[in-house]
Amino acid sequence: MPTTLTIDPVTRIEGHLEIEVTVDLVGGQQQVVDAKSAGTMFRGFEIILVGRDPRDAALYTQRICGVCPVSHAAAACLNLDAAFGVQPPDNGRILRNLVQGANHLESNILHFYHLSLLDYVNTTGMLDRAPWIPRYNTPDMIGGSTAATLIEHYVAALQIRRKTQQMGALFGAKLPCVGSLVVGGCTEVVTSGKVAEFRRLLTELRSFVDNIYLADVNTLVGAFPNYYNLGVGYRNLLSFGAFDLDASGNNRLFPAGRYTDGQTGTVDPQQIIEYVSHGWYTPASGGLNPAQGVTEPDPDKPGAYTWLKAPRYAGKAHEAGPLARMWIANEYTRGVSALDRIVARALETKKIADAMDGWLDQLTPGAPSYAPSTIPQQATGIGLTEAPRGALGHWMTITNGAISRYQVITPTAWNASPRDDANQLGPIEAALLGTPVTDVDQPIEVLRVVHTFDPCLACAVHMVRPGERQSRPRIMVRQSPL
Amino acid sequence: MRISRRDFLRVAAAAVAAGRLAPAALARLEEALRSPNAPRVIWLQASGCDGCAISFLNSVHYATADDLLLNTLDVKFQSNLQAAAGDLAISALQAAAAQPGYILIVEGAIPTGANGRFCRAWTGTTMVDALQSLAPNAAFIVALGACASYGGVTRGAPNPTGAKGLGQILGNDSRLINIPGCPAHPDWLVGTLVYLINNGRVPPLDQHRRPLEFFSRRIHDNCFKRRKYCGQPVFAPQLGEVGCMEYLGCKGKHTYADCPIRKWNSRGEGQYGVNWCVAARSPCLGCVNPNFPDGMSPFFVYLPAPERPAQPTGREEEAAPFGRPFGAGTPAPLR
Repeated sequence: MPTTLTIDPVTRIEGHLEIEVTVDLVGGQQQVVDAKSAGTMFRGFEIILVGRDPRDAALYTQRICGVCPVSHAAAACLNLDAAFGVQPPDNGRILRNLVQGANHLESNILHFYHLSLLDYVNTTGMLDRAPWIPRYNTPDMIGGSTAATLIEHYVAALQIRRKTQQMGALFGAKLPCVGSLVVGGCTEVVTSGKVAEFRRLLTELRSFVDNIYLADVNTLVGAFPNYYNLGVGYRNLLSFGAFDLDASGNNRLFPAGRYTDGQTGTVDPQQIIEYVSHGWYTPASGGLNPAQGVTEPDPDKPGAYTWLKAPRYAGKAHEAGPLARMWIANEYTRGVSALDRIVARALETKKIADAMDGWLDQLTPGAPSYAPSTIPQQATGIGLTEAPRGALGHWMTITNGAISRYQVITPTAWNASPRDDANQLGPIEAALLGTPVTDVDQPIEVLRVVHTFDPCLACAVHMVRPGERQSRPRIMVRQSPL
Repeated sequence: MRISRRDFLRVAAAAVAAGRLAPAALARLEEALRSPNAPRVIWLQASGCDGCAISFLNSVHYATADDLLLNTLDVKFQSNLQAAAGDLAISALQAAAAQPGYILIVEGAIPTGANGRFCRAWTGTTMVDALQSLAPNAAFIVALGACASYGGVTRGAPNPTGAKGLGQILGNDSRLINIPGCPAHPDWLVGTLVYLINNGRVPPLDQHRRPLEFFSRRIHDNCFKRRKYCGQPVFAPQLGEVGCMEYLGCKGKHTYADCPIRKWNSRGEGQYGVNWCVAARSPCLGCVNPNFPDGMSPFFVYLPAPERPAQPTGREEEAAPFGRPFGAGTPAPLR
C-alpha cells in the first residue's frame, strides 16, 4: 500500500525546498517509487533587474544567494565583460579566480560538515542541545569514538570556513557579497602583503582538506558503501566550465562539457530549454531558451507543484555539481551516485585549493587588475561559470544603455527541477527512485540522497520573467564615465 | 572552541588599551557568554538568500559562532544547521514558540503578494502566517539584514512579490530591532544579542530602529581615503585607483555604519576585519540604508548629498560601551 511522505521544510540546505516521496514495498523492501522536488519561495530577480544600470548586475545578482554570491558575481562579470567588450588584465582575472575559489572551498566544507554530516552520525552525548536536537536516530549511524572525531572536526570546520571567507575577503572586500568584482576585472590591487596573508590562510586550509576533510570522507565511504548504489538518477552530467587559466577563454581549470546517455559532448547554450508544465507559471512561458524567455507567475495553476522551472539540455535532464565538473575534467569517473557526489566534492576541493597556490604565484604586485570601459548602448552578453553546486549561466541584453533582459539558470534549477512537459522527472526526483525508507517517521535515507546535491533553492527560484501584463520598471539610469 | 577566561581577558585588555571597549562593558560581555540562562532563539528565514546566516557564522570578534551555538544561545530553529527536518523540525519549533520570551530573528523579506504564497514556511503555512504566529510570544524581534529590516533587494522595484520588511508588517513594535546590511555584519548581530542578554531590553535605536552602537557614525566621516589627504580629498579617477570615490558612486556620505572602523571578516577575537568595500577600492553601496537598494542605485553613479560640517575629531574609533543608558534616541516611526 503506497504511502506519501512530505518533508517540508528540508533543512540543512540553502533556501526553501519540499520533498514529497511515495513509498511502497518493492521486492519485500520499502522504497521510494515516486518523488517530487518543489521550490517553495520565489522573489523575481529578472524583473527587478530590468531597467537598471548594467554594471549593477554584478552586485544585485550576488543577492540571489548568500552561500555562493561570488559565483554570481563571476558569472555577471563574464557576462558584462562580453557585453561591454572589455578584457580584464591578468591580475584581475586571477584575483576573480582566487575569490571565486575561496567561495567554492568554503561552500564545500560547509556542505560536508554542517549540511550533510549530521545525516550519518549519532551525536548523542556530544551535541545534546538545540539545534542539534531533536534529531533522527537510526541504527546505521556512526557512533563511538569515530563519531566523536567527526564532531570535533565539525566544530573545527566552523573555524576553517570562517577563515576561508576571511581569505576571500582579502581581495573580495568582504564576504558574503563581495564588492571588488566588477566589469573589467577586480578593483582590489595586488600587494605582497595581501598575497602572503592569503597564502598563509590557504596553507592552513589545504592542510585541513588533505588531513581531515579527505580522511573524514573516507570514513563515511567505509561506513556507508551502499550509498554508491543509491541516489543514482539519470547519470547525465553538465558543466559550463570555470576558472580561466589564461586570457583565451578556452583554457579552464574545469572544462565545459557534458555526459549524456554515456557519451561525452560539448555544451551549446542554444540547446537549453526550460519547461513550465509543472511549475507555477502560465503555459505560454514554457518551451523557451533563456534568451527568449517570457514568463508570468501563476500561483493558482492546477497540477503545478513548484516555483522551479525544468531546464533540459537537448530534451534531457542533466545534473550539475562537483561530480559533473570532475567527470568532464576526466578526474573522477568511478560512478554516479550519492556517495560519488560526496567524494567528488571533496576531491575537487583539494584540486581547487592546490591550484590556488599556483595562481598566487602568477600575481604581479603593482600591475593593474582593472580595465576601464563604458556602458554600450545596445549589446548582449553571456557569462557561464561553475558555482559550488554546478553550472551557472547569466544572459543579458542591454538596450539604450540599460538592462532590458537578464536571465539566470542556476545549478539547483537543473538539479531540483520538477517534471518537464514530457513528464520526465528532474535529477533529484529521479535519483530518489529506489531509495529505501526503513522508517517512514525518520526518512533519513531520503535526506541523505537529497543532501548530496547540496541544494540551494534561493538560487533555483529567483526569477519571474517579464510578462505582458507587468509593466517595465522605470529605474532611471544616470550615466557617469567609469 | 570555548575561549578561556585568561585568553579572553588578555585580548580584551588589549582592546581596552586601544580605546575600543570600556572595561565595565567587558565584564558584562564575559558574563553574558557564561550565562546559564541561555536565551532561546528562533531563527526564521523568509524571502532572502541566507547571506546573513553565513555572515553570522563568520562571527569571531566578540565570540565565535560555535562558542555562541554551543555555550550561549539555545537556538531552537535554524534551517541551515539544525539536525531535524520536516515535521520533526516544525513540531520542535511550535513547542518552543508556545513558551513566551524567546528572541525571534528573521532573515529575508516577507512577501505579501498572492496571499503570501510566494514564500512558504512549511506545509500549509505562508511566511506571513509564520511571522504572525511567532511574533506574539517573542521577547525581542530582530530583523536581520536589509531584506528583513526594510525589504532589501527582494523589495527592489517593481517588487513583484509584494515584499515588505518586518516593520511594515508588525507596525510600531517596541520589541523590534533592525540590523540591516547586505548582509548584516556578524558583530552587529552578536553585539546586539549580547546587549539583549545583559540588559533585558532593546538597545538605544536610531529613527530607523537600528542600534546606535553600530549605526551612528557616517562612513564618509571615518573614511581613511578622505582623511589621509589632510581634509582635501583626492578623487579617484576610476575604480581601482587611490582616492575618494564619491564621484564614482560611493554612498559613504549617505550611510551610517561602522564599517571603516570594524571592517569585515575579522582576523580573530577582539580584532577588526581584513578589508571592507572602500578599502578594496569599490564604492560603498549604502546597504544599511532603509532605501537600499533602489535609493542607492545605480551603485556606480554619483548621488549628491548635503554637505555636513563634520570635522573628524580623531576619536571616532572609540566604540561606545555596552549598556548605554536607555532612553537615548526617540521612538522610531516605522515604515
